Amino acid sequence: MKPIVQVEKLRLAFPGSKNMLFKDFSVSFNKGEKVLILGPSGCGKSTFLQLLSGIIPGSIDIPCRAEALEIPQEWGYVFQDPDAQFCMPYVDEEMAFVLENLQTPREKMAERMEELLSAVGIRLPALHTKIQSLSGGMKQRLAIASVLALKPEVLFLDEPTAMLDPEGTKDIWDTLKKVGRDKTVIIVEHKIDHVLDFAGRIILLDGNGNLMADGTKGEIFARHRTELREQGIWFPGVWEEYISQIPAGSKSIPANGKEVISLSDFKGIHGKEVKIHVDDLKVQAGEWVVITGKNGAGKSTFLHALMQFIKTKGNYLLKGKRILKGVNPAKEVAFVFQNPEFQFVAGTVYEETAFSLRMKGLEEGNIAAMVENTLRVFALEKQQHLHPYQLSTGQKRRLSVAASIIADPDILLLDEPTFGQDAKNTFAILDKLEEFRKKGAAIIMVSHDEQIVEGFATRVLAIDHGRIIKNEYILESERAGMTCTV
Amino acid sequence: MYIEWSPKETWLHQINPSLKLLVIISLFTVMLLIDDLNYLFSFTIAVLLLFILFTGHPFKRILLFSIPFFVVFVSTSFTMILFGKGETTILKFGLIHITEESFYRGLLVGLRALATAALGLTFALTTKPVLLFYSLMQQMKLRPAYAYSFMAAMRMLPIMAEEFQTIRHARKVRGWEGKKGAGGFFRKISAYSIPLLSQSIRRAHRIAVAMEAKRFRMAGQRTYYYQTGFSWNDVLFIGYFLVVLAAGYYFSAEWPYFKQVNF
Amino acid sequence: MKKSMKLTEILITVMIAVAFGLVYILWGTLYYALKPLGLQMDQFIYGMWFIAAPVAFLIIRKPGVALLAEIAAASGEFLLGSAWGLTILLYGVVQGLFFEFVLMAFKYKKFNIGVMILGGLAAAAGSVIMDYYYGEIGSLSAWNLTLFMIARFLGGALFAGVLPYYLVKALEATGVTNLVRPATDKDYDTLNQ
Repeated sequence: MKPIVQVEKLRLAFPGSKNMLFKDFSVSFNKGEKVLILGPSGCGKSTFLQLLSGIIPGSIDIPCRAEALEIPQEWGYVFQDPDAQFCMPYVDEEMAFVLENLQTPREKMAERMEELLSAVGIRLPALHTKIQSLSGGMKQRLAIASVLALKPEVLFLDEPTAMLDPEGTKDIWDTLKKVGRDKTVIIVEHKIDHVLDFAGRIILLDGNGNLMADGTKGEIFARHRTELREQGIWFPGVWEEYISQIPAGSKSIPANGKEVISLSDFKGIHGKEVKIHVDDLKVQAGEWVVITGKNGAGKSTFLHALMQFIKTKGNYLLKGKRILKGVNPAKEVAFVFQNPEFQFVAGTVYEETAFSLRMKGLEEGNIAAMVENTLRVFALEKQQHLHPYQLSTGQKRRLSVAASIIADPDILLLDEPTFGQDAKNTFAILDKLEEFRKKGAAIIMVSHDEQIVEGFATRVLAIDHGRIIKNEYILESERAGMTCTV
Repeated sequence: MYIEWSPKETWLHQINPSLKLLVIISLFTVMLLIDDLNYLFSFTIAVLLLFILFTGHPFKRILLFSIPFFVVFVSTSFTMILFGKGETTILKFGLIHITEESFYRGLLVGLRALATAALGLTFALTTKPVLLFYSLMQQMKLRPAYAYSFMAAMRMLPIMAEEFQTIRHARKVRGWEGKKGAGGFFRKISAYSIPLLSQSIRRAHRIAVAMEAKRFRMAGQRTYYYQTGFSWNDVLFIGYFLVVLAAGYYFSAEWPYFKQVNF
Repeated sequence: MKKSMKLTEILITVMIAVAFGLVYILWGTLYYALKPLGLQMDQFIYGMWFIAAPVAFLIIRKPGVALLAEIAAASGEFLLGSAWGLTILLYGVVQGLFFEFVLMAFKYKKFNIGVMILGGLAAAAGSVIMDYYYGEIGSLSAWNLTLFMIARFLGGALFAGVLPYYLVKALEATGVTNLVRPATDKDYDTLNQ
């Protein structure tokens, strides 16, 4: 059988780089195959997908050459960022954009849109709905619907769920499995829970774009577990492995821990609406509080209220000091943003790490020692002269945490710090946070990961419709019990 | 600011957007040529009438939108009134020298600014940007690559505004404060613009790649989801201004509101 | 360098320009607050309204970018319903065109601070021509007009020449501009290792 997608002896190098990313790389795909490409972040998986679809060099100019290159006639590409693949403000207009490109007659557009949207399970009261009002999962489904308009034989999926919560991730894979059944599907993804019963073949790349393995999923998982772990891939069981090596008894809270946050009848107000209302909550030093809840439940808003980004009412004591209007709690509380880029204030990784220490007015000698130590601990030494923006997503996240905790704040708030990270990086961050907590800090973080609750949280707060609906301590024995059942 | 809380659609909404744009640009040019305060005054009243009666917004909101007009009027006319050339002195106080000529010319410049502001806002309040770009593609042969780039950029504005807010919060959290002086000013500007710009560039790049992945071609043929054309409202719009310009000219000669001043 | 713009480049230009449109609106508030003070202090900050052109050009480095950016920024402000929108739209065309002329004179091959300052001065000249007709500035008393001119041109050089030059330099340090810089022959040579 003639392959539907094929590349032989591919050579590719990023502009400005002295080494090739792919050197004489060959691979082919048969019609109807479902293939998962795995590899560490930065190994060129996405680049490879773009090359197979012709986006490179068609839309992106990257030096490359191959002895043979077979690109599918009809293909569709789903990108990872839901906000960066639409050009129009409304659902119908975005769909129309694709249909116009295909020169669909105007009279047939509405019918075609209905057809495509129902294929991906989007039911809207009106086609003319703002895309910005949709959830991330819905946006990705819309992206899939647009792609289906192209009647693709081959689907390229470039981490389509990287920016989605667990619920959205499951939804998208259910949709993709349905619409991709009779197509060739080539997938790049590091959250592979839902992909494994879909993809039959796995291609494993190393950090330099070399082929490490190419085989059935059974073969790969049997023979290459170590490589998968080293590359930070979320293969089944990796969480359990990680959690099982946490020493028992680590989840204790110091008995006489000081109360660092005390709230009563505390309201966070945005516009004129009360977005979060906490009747009574006390947090001690040494606690690790995980906040869970659906999208839009008020989790981030709660953190924003604690940071005084929004107007608040009620009693808010921070280390016994009352926080009144106009007081900036940032002296005691550090905050790690969801997008680390926005919080970087310096021009190099080193300076970024040193920033909070400089603000505190420490001596230059002490600063240098502390910064060097922190950079080593967070594995950012080699990057210290780079601009923070030039780091990989994982490195950026580590830097944002490093720069936030270096000055030893008493309280650390984090908004989904492990979101979109690979396994290796997630575990590295959790290790650092746990160390930081053991030194006596309180951690409050928003997270969707149940495993973090299981492995690290000393308490869970569930928020729904702006109210705390669950406030439970998690005892050590419970965790032990849970890990036993795995 | 095409207001999302759907105002009543009026005949101004029905006018072909390209034609509406061309007409208001021509009117702007005509205004540059009007040096007669009386004539300009009539014209301004005519523009304000459209703005107040036919943008489809409730009166309260119209009042709110008009606040900047007066800022524009006052601030534009004052410089000329206080520091303009002239012979017939009304008041002299240090550097300030108000003359009859400078006073009238000040009013003229202020009215011109006010009428322009009202014209522009009337357009913005009655024109959906998406329809404007569809019309520019269909009637003015604007290349789709430009039209869709604009529409994509407009879609990103609220997201950018949100990001700007996040950056402000982040600076607060990190304890970052701008310093005084020119260096401080530059650092403050780059502290906000570098993250926003780099994010915008990357996002624009991704959107462009996604657009081409959806088979957008620079030179490709296409159909249009929104069909824009012409109607009697277009004739009415042009007719309205022709009558206003003619009548204003007549009134300024026959029944001037202000004393005629020769500059 | 003579190649026409690709979709990516048009989209990036328009996107950053529209973002500057927002800055222009905020700037307008500042400008009109300074204006009634007289003495032409406001004219010094006027140059900010030319900044989209040099920033976009320094990033994309192609013909037409400066003009497109200035028009796009002004359209953004216009469509968002700024009271100064229509004026700015028409001024924007002229200012962008004047900036573009300077770049053209250097065959779009010079990206140094000197050329940017010249561009800023040219844009200022374009705006002065518009003001001659629209704002009747010819009728200002001589001392006031002199002050006006000095402030406008100085501001143009500073806000549309010096500032964008260093801004884009800082942006280049983040590495993001590599996205739009075309691959060189040397980059292709890497494939022959």
